[in-house]
Amino acid sequence: MKKIGEGAEALIYAAKIYGADVIIKYRQRKMYRAAELDTKLRKTRTRKEAKIIARVLEHGIPAPALIGIGNFSIYMERISGIMLKDTRISANDAALAGLLLGKLHNAGVTHGDFTPANLIKSGKNIRIIDFGLSNINKGSEERALDLLLMKRQLSPRLFSEFSSGYLKAADSGNDTIKRLEEILERGRYQTRTLA
Amino acid sequence: MITLGVESSAHTFGVGIVDKGKILANEKSMYKIGTTGMIPKKVAEFHAQNSGSVVEAALSKAGISIRDIDGIGYTRGPGIGNCLQVGQIVAKTLAHKLHVPIVPVNHGIGHIEIARIRSGLRDPVVLYVSGGNSQILKIAGGSSRHYGVLGETFDIGIGNMLDNFARAAHLNPAWGSTVEKEAQGGRYIEMPYTVKGMDFSFTGILTHSEKQLGKHSLRDICFSLQETSFSMLCEAIERAMLLTDSKELCVCGGVAQNARLKEMIGLIAAEHGARIGYAENEFNADNGAMIAFVAERMLKAGLGVRLNKCDIEQRYRIDSATVVG
Repeated sequence: MKKIGEGAEALIYAAKIYGADVIIKYRQRKMYRAAELDTKLRKTRTRKEAKIIARVLEHGIPAPALIGIGNFSIYMERISGIMLKDTRISANDAALAGLLLGKLHNAGVTHGDFTPANLIKSGKNIRIIDFGLSNINKGSEERALDLLLMKRQLSPRLFSEFSSGYLKAADSGNDTIKRLEEILERGRYQTRTLA
Repeated sequence: MITLGVESSAHTFGVGIVDKGKILANEKSMYKIGTTGMIPKKVAEFHAQNSGSVVEAALSKAGISIRDIDGIGYTRGPGIGNCLQVGQIVAKTLAHKLHVPIVPVNHGIGHIEIARIRSGLRDPVVLYVSGGNSQILKIAGGSSRHYGVLGETFDIGIGNMLDNFARAAHLNPAWGSTVEKEAQGGRYIEMPYTVKGMDFSFTGILTHSEKQLGKHSLRDICFSLQETSFSMLCEAIERAMLLTDSKELCVCGGVAQNARLKEMIGLIAAEHGARIGYAENEFNADNGAMIAFVAERMLKAGLGVRLNKCDIEQRYRIDSATVVG
């Protein structure tokens, strides 16, 4: 078992189980948190994430196959490929990413961290990873936030490819785009610039 | 260059005097909030009554005459309009009478820059937590340097949340430091926890805590309220540090005086081998020295403005304020 990554709430390990390449996402203890809160957050988030991955797979949306669940860890298929953020994103990639997000939203899932770092490209295909901040059956606000994250990361040209892919797939795509425009107009965030 | 700074964004009327980064004076008078909180008109009246004596106290503390002052700074915002206006008028009057340059300063930049520079940090992830503000920031921009917002509250500032709870629980004085005292030795009860990436929200936990009054002991509610809301901040900070690959952390603002919050952030910094810089408590509370400190640097960089351009802005966004390198 080899540590291959560290997020804010989990450690990512690569391992071989019966010859198969496996990713283990382990939510480690956070020493700053009160023990009760810490256990509750790690347990509920692990369960919720696994449940969402299963739901995504049931809808035929490309995500890592779920292998097993522990108290604080999820065992998943290791996907080979390269993060979209480390490639030159083409118009096709952007449109496909939009299409996938549309399907994800149709399945009632919002991703919560839908960025090119969480899209894995292998060949012509793209798969979605990291459902750690995902939610089920939230409203247009949460859906719009998924688009907002992508808008911040893509050039205007690529984002327009992305949104046309999204609109093609998403059942209530127009609602979501309208909500995104509303969010962008809110006073508090109007001038918000990112570091 | 001797610079005088005036701060009056909320309950504190403060006057600081700085000479080449050295703080010569930091005097203030603070409106007593009692159990009612801040009523804008009353606070502004209080500031107007006390402004003269605070200026005099600062001058005498610094051991200088009013004629020795070479520049003036004041808080432009964000803050309570009525209160900001008093400081602005005092600053403009002084600048006009003394024929010295004047510069408006962003209140948050004051807290952050005095903490960052005095603790020798270069480009830290900043946690700025006060009554009205709760943000995670980092310096951005090449030609026009400013603080970019990585994450912030969706609704109210964490200090505001704690103050609101203190009022609902009839604590006296009704603000966060009383909640901190009450929280000692409490046990954990469940509270709503809202973090989205590096943003967070505090209204849900406020409503929930208020509803627990009478059902649980005040001690347990205060304890859990602190533990949960501070954990939310900590999760967002940790994410910001990993995302920006930062090994420096700067913590400032009124709520940064809370010992438990400091302890929690200290644990995160230790885990990631990050250097941590806190403002001294004197500068975490609202004060004039931080305004003078930033104003001096801005005036040196030629950012002074004409008297008729000296306005106030209640919602002056921190990321629209220029930062002097």
